[in-house]
Amino acid sequence: MSKNMATSLVRQTKLLSIVSSQLNSAACFRNIHCTAACLKNRAARIRVGKGDKSVTYEQAYHPHHIGHRKGWLSQHTSNLQGEDGAAERVVEDVFIRRFMYGTFHGCLADEVVIKRRGNLLVICAVMIQKLLPSKFYFLIGYTVELLSHFYKCPVQIEMQTVEEKVVYKYL
Amino acid sequence: MASSCSQALRHHVCKSSRILRIHLQKSYRSFALNSAADQQPAVSSPEEIVIPKKKTWSKEAVLQALASAVKRDPTASDSRFQDDPYLTPKTSSEFKLFSLSQESGRNAAKYFINTYPKYFQKDYAQPHIPCLMPETLEAQIEEASEAALIERIRMRKVKAAVDLYDQLLQAGTSVSLDVTNQLLDLICFCGDHDPAQENVPEQRNEETEDVQDEPQAKKGRAPKASGLLKATWKENNNAERIFALLSEPNTHSYSALIRGMVKYGAYSKAFSTYTDLLNNRLKADVQTFNALIIAAPEVKEKYNEKWELIVDLLKQMAEQKVKPNLLTLNAVLKALRRCGTLGKSQAFPVISEMKALSIDPSLASYNHLLTIFYKTGATIQGQTDILQEVMNEVSGKSFTCLDTKDMEQAYRVHELLGVGENWRLLGNDFQQNIYYARFFSLLCMMENIDVMLKWYRDLVPSVYYPSSNIMRDLLQALDTDNRLDLIPQIWKDIKQLGHANRQNLVEELLILMAREKHNQEVQESFAECALDIKKIYDTGDRGKVLLSWTAGSLSDLISVLLAAHRRQDAWEMLKLFKTHNRVPSEELLNRFLTCVKEAGEVNQAVELVQISAGFCLPETPKLIQRVQQEFELTEQQRNMLSDLEIQTFNSD
Repeated sequence: MSKNMATSLVRQTKLLSIVSSQLNSAACFRNIHCTAACLKNRAARIRVGKGDKSVTYEQAYHPHHIGHRKGWLSQHTSNLQGEDGAAERVVEDVFIRRFMYGTFHGCLADEVVIKRRGNLLVICAVMIQKLLPSKFYFLIGYTVELLSHFYKCPVQIEMQTVEEKVVYKYL
Repeated sequence: MASSCSQALRHHVCKSSRILRIHLQKSYRSFALNSAADQQPAVSSPEEIVIPKKKTWSKEAVLQALASAVKRDPTASDSRFQDDPYLTPKTSSEFKLFSLSQESGRNAAKYFINTYPKYFQKDYAQPHIPCLMPETLEAQIEEASEAALIERIRMRKVKAAVDLYDQLLQAGTSVSLDVTNQLLDLICFCGDHDPAQENVPEQRNEETEDVQDEPQAKKGRAPKASGLLKATWKENNNAERIFALLSEPNTHSYSALIRGMVKYGAYSKAFSTYTDLLNNRLKADVQTFNALIIAAPEVKEKYNEKWELIVDLLKQMAEQKVKPNLLTLNAVLKALRRCGTLGKSQAFPVISEMKALSIDPSLASYNHLLTIFYKTGATIQGQTDILQEVMNEVSGKSFTCLDTKDMEQAYRVHELLGVGENWRLLGNDFQQNIYYARFFSLLCMMENIDVMLKWYRDLVPSVYYPSSNIMRDLLQALDTDNRLDLIPQIWKDIKQLGHANRQNLVEELLILMAREKHNQEVQESFAECALDIKKIYDTGDRGKVLLSWTAGSLSDLISVLLAAHRRQDAWEMLKLFKTHNRVPSEELLNRFLTCVKEAGEVNQAVELVQISAGFCLPETPKLIQRVQQEFELTEQQRNMLSDLEIQTFNSD
């Protein structure tokens, strides 16, 4: 009885492999998925929880609200018709955001906004008043000099400080 | 027919192109003078207006036009700071601290960029921006050749260049005179040590050992306090050695050597080298003479000897047919500074002679002139007329304005500051402070209060953070103009500027407030101000008391409070007399009594008398009498008073 089942199973798998190979050759693919799942309906959304998680305006609104209730965090013209360099701008933006996060560690109150005007790069950041103003100025001078030498363009930082992170609601 | 037509056409074209060229030239020139985009076409004659066919603008024309439309914002702080209340400096020390910390951040970044240049090599910029590339500090060419020497000279590596030169000579290759002269120039300019390079730590380690040997070797002269910071010309240093190795030194070599000596303080050596040059029948060039003129006051002692030496040098210059230039004029004027009264008499003739040689005096010349003449105001008259050219190191000039108490001059100076590039002459922050301090003190003295306040609001605190002396001048100006109602606002500014811990300033403020009686609202604002001041006195930072009460300040404060009918606060303040061991004055107590009487508080009156008795004040009996007469007292109080009376009577 068990032997019968085993053999029937084997036969079935053999059938399956034959069928799948035939399917493969017939150009409908089902391949192995080897990256992490990045679902678009879970990106940049903070899910509703118990009510103790404080959330800023930027974090509270989901990506489909961009253009309606939120602005853009990165402003440049390479997404217009006929302009190129969009991918390079994205990579630069990612680097700049990580750089700011690391240099002003624990001081960022909200996401960094990056604006490009001509070849001028303006980094707008809202900081918590965690450091003394002289320390802020040290880091500002350092960032401006380093990034302008790195990207070969003038870099400007426009900084605003708040006493604490501005909470929009609790989720 | 056709030929005449074409001829007429050609003629017309020629004429119009000529007009076009003239107008283009005119428009270029007029644009250079006015930075704003001038839309008016160039006018050739009063009747016809010729519009040029094409007008080209410089690359920055748009930016200049935009910039001319924007004036300075008096409410914002300096543009190097962020526009945020937490990050704006409020006092002059904060200003300095923030700008210095920003600079040090920049230097930290430069260190990283120059230590790890390989991460910064990718060039995104079209066209190439050389200042944003990491500095190449290492010499490229390795083998010993003249090209390598030239490269090291260009990169200002003194030690490496000298070593390479020695190497070349030992190897037998001759180095051309030109390159040797360049090397001599470099050594004499840098004084035989490498110009400071803070960015590369590895080099520092190697060089410290070498440098330490040299100072212990002979020093040129006994160093003065300021001279310790500057390098001095050492005996038998590389420059002299290389000079000696030259078979035929020419004018350039001598000139380099002499100028190096003068720069680093070996003045007598410079003159002996000059005599060498003359002995070799060479002509000195204008730079050499300039250096020697600068050195002249150092080698002679008396004024007329110095002047004679300078005149001698000038004569030799004329003999050798060397034309003096602007630097000669400046050198002579600078030397005249050291000549005292002789300088004053000789300065103007020198300038007129130079003008005759068509050398226009520059800003530096005027600066030297002023420092020669700074006591008399007469010098200024001639210069300020030449608006475009004349602007001076303003501290010197405003000093003279202060001396002559000339408001007109001060305004003109300030206006000159606004024209074009003249703001650069304001110098570094320190001199800027001096300038504004003088400007303000002049304003306080001479102008009425409205003008003063207008300037105050314009300049403070965006450009200048006044010191406590200036605030005192301002208070006195308010006093003279009877605008004491503005005191609370000034007090707010004083607090913000960080001068609230100055004893004299606060006391003066209190005196001014307490002196006269004003109308009700003014008194109210004074009372608020007074309570604010009281807070400063009581709570110091971290328990430290910044200001100590004096009898005068306490009385003033109490009178201000009384005038605003704040009896309760005043009463508490009265207790402070005892705690701080100060004695209240007679009028204060009398005034208090009157106040108390208006309120009808009998108990307080009696307490007042007790307090005064406690201090054993001589006017206690009078107070007692007053109380007895003016108040309705209960039996108990009357007994107390009579006891006190007897007490004081006995003690007298």
